Amino acid sequence: MKTLNIVERIEGEAKLVCNWEDEKITDAQIQFLNFRGFEYILKDKPALDALVYTPRICGICGQAHLKATAQALENIYESVNEPLYITDKAKLLREIGLNIEIIDSHIKWFYLFIMPDIAKLSKDEKYLKYEAIKGESWRKGTYAASESIKALAVFAGQWPHTSYMLPGGVMSDPTLFDIMTMQNYMDQTLHFIEKELIGDEIENYFNFNNISDFDSLNGALSDFIKLCLENDFHNLGKSYNSHIVLSKNYLFESGRIEIKNRQSVDLSLVKEEDINSFKMNEPRRDNEYTWAKTALYNDKPYETGPLSRALISNRKLIKNMHKEYNDSVLTRVMARMDELIYLVFITKKLIKQVDISQDSFIPPKLSLKDIGTATGISAVEAARGSLLHKVTLENSIIKNYDVITPSVWNLGPGINEKYGIAQKAIIGANSLEKAYIILRSFDVCSVCTTH
Amino acid sequence: MVDSQDMVKKVFTQKSARIDTNKGENYYNNLFEKAKQRLSTLKKQAPLKDIDMVDVIETEGINRRDFMKWVSGTTATLMLPPMFEPLVAEATELMNRVPVVWIELQDCAGNSEALLRSASPTVDDLLFDVLSLEFHETLQAAAGHDADRQLEDAVEHFKGQYLLFVEGAIPMANNGMYGTIGASGETFHEHLMRMSKDAAAVIAVGTCATFGGIPAAAPNPTGAVGVMDLVKGKPLINIPACPANPANMVGVILHYILTGQVPELDSLLRPKFAFGYRIHDNCERRAHFDAGEFVEEFGDDGAKNNWCLYKVGCKGPMTFNNCSIIRYNEGTNWPVGVGRGCIGCSEPDFWDKYAYQRPMAGANIKAPTGGVEKTVDEFGLGLLTATAVGIGVHAVASAVAGKKSEHNEEE
Repeated sequence: MKTLNIVERIEGEAKLVCNWEDEKITDAQIQFLNFRGFEYILKDKPALDALVYTPRICGICGQAHLKATAQALENIYESVNEPLYITDKAKLLREIGLNIEIIDSHIKWFYLFIMPDIAKLSKDEKYLKYEAIKGESWRKGTYAASESIKALAVFAGQWPHTSYMLPGGVMSDPTLFDIMTMQNYMDQTLHFIEKELIGDEIENYFNFNNISDFDSLNGALSDFIKLCLENDFHNLGKSYNSHIVLSKNYLFESGRIEIKNRQSVDLSLVKEEDINSFKMNEPRRDNEYTWAKTALYNDKPYETGPLSRALISNRKLIKNMHKEYNDSVLTRVMARMDELIYLVFITKKLIKQVDISQDSFIPPKLSLKDIGTATGISAVEAARGSLLHKVTLENSIIKNYDVITPSVWNLGPGINEKYGIAQKAIIGANSLEKAYIILRSFDVCSVCTTH
Repeated sequence: MVDSQDMVKKVFTQKSARIDTNKGENYYNNLFEKAKQRLSTLKKQAPLKDIDMVDVIETEGINRRDFMKWVSGTTATLMLPPMFEPLVAEATELMNRVPVVWIELQDCAGNSEALLRSASPTVDDLLFDVLSLEFHETLQAAAGHDADRQLEDAVEHFKGQYLLFVEGAIPMANNGMYGTIGASGETFHEHLMRMSKDAAAVIAVGTCATFGGIPAAAPNPTGAVGVMDLVKGKPLINIPACPANPANMVGVILHYILTGQVPELDSLLRPKFAFGYRIHDNCERRAHFDAGEFVEEFGDDGAKNNWCLYKVGCKGPMTFNNCSIIRYNEGTNWPVGVGRGCIGCSEPDFWDKYAYQRPMAGANIKAPTGGVEKTVDEFGLGLLTATAVGIGVHAVASAVAGKKSEHNEEE
């Protein structure tokens, strides 16, 4: 039996086409049917214009695209042996900006998408607080997200769609008062996380070793774990269990894991396939069903995102959970929340390290216009996983701009006999509700996927 | 299609956005009476949602004074005198009489994200509790086929009454194959036409929905157009900007509740209360423009001292929007506040015309004349011309981009 279902409440819309046998999903297609063509639009534009175009690829992870563009352009300077000097202050402000965006995205994803859906699987009235729009927790989560993103607006000007970074640094020059305001917003976020999400102080949380540590607590994570165990989500949603992280920062290490061995990554082995994807201005073939392409490393599929980051960076709680439950929905969602908690903690520290007396921006000695022909590449860790930008300039104008988003790793179609990551995770689910939640555990974003 | 896009451009270069901030006592007295009557009629209607704003304020522990502060700010945003404050407060309480349907087309969800960050009292209290949001893909409770059904039900049940908010452009190339929606796979174009047919008014939110936005940037690979190119014979309001300011979305709804009508619009169908003046007119760095103090390069002393960003590409003098006053993220800040300059995101074709790297003076943009332009004093205007000469040199090298707009300028 074949069914077609719509996945709403992601950014944009996706279609999930499933084949069923004996009440189990035996084959699944994830279809993204919206396309704008950013890579075509960026062609023939001056290089710096990309700083304003690429953040608009996504209304949720614009910071990640902005940082990727700024760094790809800086990589062009490196490629011609004229590396730019970026001050610590500028580096910090970029990382803080991206962290805050991820914090905001993780809070929203959990409270707006994951909890309302998983709570619906239980008849227990105490979970009504997670109901969309009406539920108290839903509202508190939305509020906490809007408050935390203000810490970014303080020095980035607005959110979504800020463009305060440029090759050589950042444009903004926060004052001491701005730094204090940012700290205050982060303190509020931390307070929310301790009170509502964990139900315990963050110092205690850092000592947690396993999900049993949540037993006596009354936070949303405890509710989530109970609901997971009741609905078999500690066994569902498993994919290849191979993980990749393309870049590193204060919290994340780069690398890949296949059967427990951590290895380094080489960006030149990343490639994008479009065998099963639609193409611009070409008639559709029978096997093509989505605008999403497929990202591969050394011709193999890898999962990217918070779970991969937690494993490669060796974060204790998730590492232990992973030993027991592998790459299940339970582990994947908990990894994202664990990352949220660490990010808030680390971002507070990073804000403290900003030395306002340093320069925000040191003008490059060479203009990109003088460089002519060159290629730059960059990778950053976005909310949903590793993001790669590759830009080629010819006569100082963008000849080619390639964007490989995290969702293309996780949600793209499979190639040949190999299923895509999320596709494989869904196969075997015994109800549509569960298939939805497995899909959601990857934090689906249709606009980034297709761009 | 092409014709109407060109029309938009023509309109932009002609007299537009003339605004009277004070329309005289008679006008406001009449409007006040009209609004009072409208609100008492609305009050008699059964609420669509059984939630009372006063209750919400009380149970959420929002200070009445904070609420009144918000009311007075919103009244000013709508360019109404303080005597309207009690009516605006009352209108807020009657938000649950107006059904709203929100659809997303070729978008990035940025405007929905911005809406989630609307001014206090927090949007979940104000909009989601009180406003009868009948459908919003991202925020609603329903998912899958239920969501599909909920949309159909809302459109059927509130025939002729609902406000349709549209986020995102509409791809018209190759029979609309670049965007389809729902189980039936109808194109964004078909979907928009069906949803707007029975709407009381259509509100295009964000520059993609209003003027085609970034998907329509050269070479416009998907043939993207804005709502105004397709929906005819219906009250249509454009709230451009990337993202649109949620204060203006709430403003439009309140204005509709208050008067039963769309607010006064400029020639690009933008509400004059929000787009009646230029960013430049109320910019915090304006004094530096007038004094001839410019940031010459990011990171220089001028940048550190918050001087005018005109020479590093700020499009404020050509951009109509209230963000220099309202700001973003509940008034936290705005781009010019952090030294990055305005990119002109509420103007048609800003991607091609106003591109970031090109200082405005070199981009060959004709200034809208009349109206607001007169508020720029002689000195400022003189300087605008003088600066243009200096900047023109830098602009030549970057003029290669945006072939589309260049082509049009040559005509």
